[in-house]
Amino acid sequence: MIKKVKASLHEKLILIFLILLGVFALSFAVIIKNKCLFVKNFDPQKINYSKPENIVVLNAECGNVIIELYPEISPNGVERFKKLINSESYDNVAFHRVIKDKLVQTGDIQFGKKNKIDYGKIGTGKSELGTIKSEIDAEFNFDKGSVGLARSLKYNTEDSQFFIILDDEPLFEGEYTPIGKVIYGIQVLEKIKYSHRSEYVLRPDFVNTVRMFK
Amino acid sequence: MHMRIFKLVLISFFLITSANSNSIYNLIKIPNLEIYELKTPNKLRYFYAAKPFRLGVQKNIVCNNSDQKTYDKKYQIISNNLNRYSKEFLKKINLKYIVMCENLSISGINTAGIPDHVMKTLIIDLKFNEKYFERVIHHELFHIINDGFKKLFNEDEWKKFNEPNFKYAECSTCSKKLGLDTYNKTNGFFTEYSMTIPSEDMAEVYSHLIMGNYKNSDDKILNEKIKFIKDKLRKIDSTFVF
Repeated sequence: MIKKVKASLHEKLILIFLILLGVFALSFAVIIKNKCLFVKNFDPQKINYSKPENIVVLNAECGNVIIELYPEISPNGVERFKKLINSESYDNVAFHRVIKDKLVQTGDIQFGKKNKIDYGKIGTGKSELGTIKSEIDAEFNFDKGSVGLARSLKYNTEDSQFFIILDDEPLFEGEYTPIGKVIYGIQVLEKIKYSHRSEYVLRPDFVNTVRMFK
Repeated sequence: MHMRIFKLVLISFFLITSANSNSIYNLIKIPNLEIYELKTPNKLRYFYAAKPFRLGVQKNIVCNNSDQKTYDKKYQIISNNLNRYSKEFLKKINLKYIVMCENLSISGINTAGIPDHVMKTLIIDLKFNEKYFERVIHHELFHIINDGFKKLFNEDEWKKFNEPNFKYAECSTCSKKLGLDTYNKTNGFFTEYSMTIPSEDMAEVYSHLIMGNYKNSDDKILNEKIKFIKDKLRKIDSTFVF
């Protein structure tokens, strides 16, 4: 006959502690693994817009980023952006340049596509539509969430790449063509993968889709 | 053993430190700058050196930080002088950023300013020659204009204004004629420094015109140079007023 051994209070406490530790470790692992856990995913259909024709929905790993475009400020820049959206050119393109809490940049549709990413050339790609002129004369507050067209060191070299700033950047006014502003979902962009050592990200996150709302 | 631990700590520090994301550096490639003033009537942006900086391929351009009192005092002088240029004109000549620092030098040679038309930047030494500080601001600004409109300010055309036997030096620092005092008897040149090279001569004419510190004279050569500078400036901006 096996004698039943009764656990002492001390042993019970250790067991409870181990269970709690396991639960804590498991939930911590889930939180660490799921970077999108606390990011609100906005449903664009549930929001009222004053100009729905200027609303863009960028979908990334953590959800939707809703952008309002400003064609009255940069008509050519917005026209180019819409053209590339309508041809679905931005789908599966890398966020190749990410500076933590500063900006995310994407839109290299030549060298940044998921299935044929070229780390040697990413950031230098073109759209085959040619460059457009910088539209930098209008007053514009480059505050958090502003969307601008990227360019080379020279003006009038904007093409397909664009950036979204994650902090106020007053120095960008008069330097970059502003095309719009994020109105919902900036937290999605704050979760985009960045590198501690470089602005350019190895094995980057990707844009899933970019679509016009209407 | 201690050294190894120190190295490990140092390496881990670099590994966990975020990529430096200085917006000013990204724009004009000059380190250690802070914003002094952004809200200006002609959209010029003023920066100051918070720490000494070095730049250039050879890191041969050096400038030090100054003290708050000097920055405040010299900013007033610089901005008062540069506010005469319109936003539109500054855009045409490609000047947007003014960097204030102290003891500016290139390869060990002190200089009043370094214009960089490509980066839209003018670095100004706050401690360079108090007597001619204001005139020098316009002198350096002219170099920005000249660099952007090289064909317009044709040096061969300019050289012909001088006496046939006059020769400029090979470079601005190749000569010992560096005096900035305005001649009483000009004889074709405003200052001794004008005789170094054509672009410095042009910059001296321009800065004297802007400051208005010259008298109409019968100096035929100088009058031709003045007309040349005025004509070319009006080609860049028909509304430009000296």
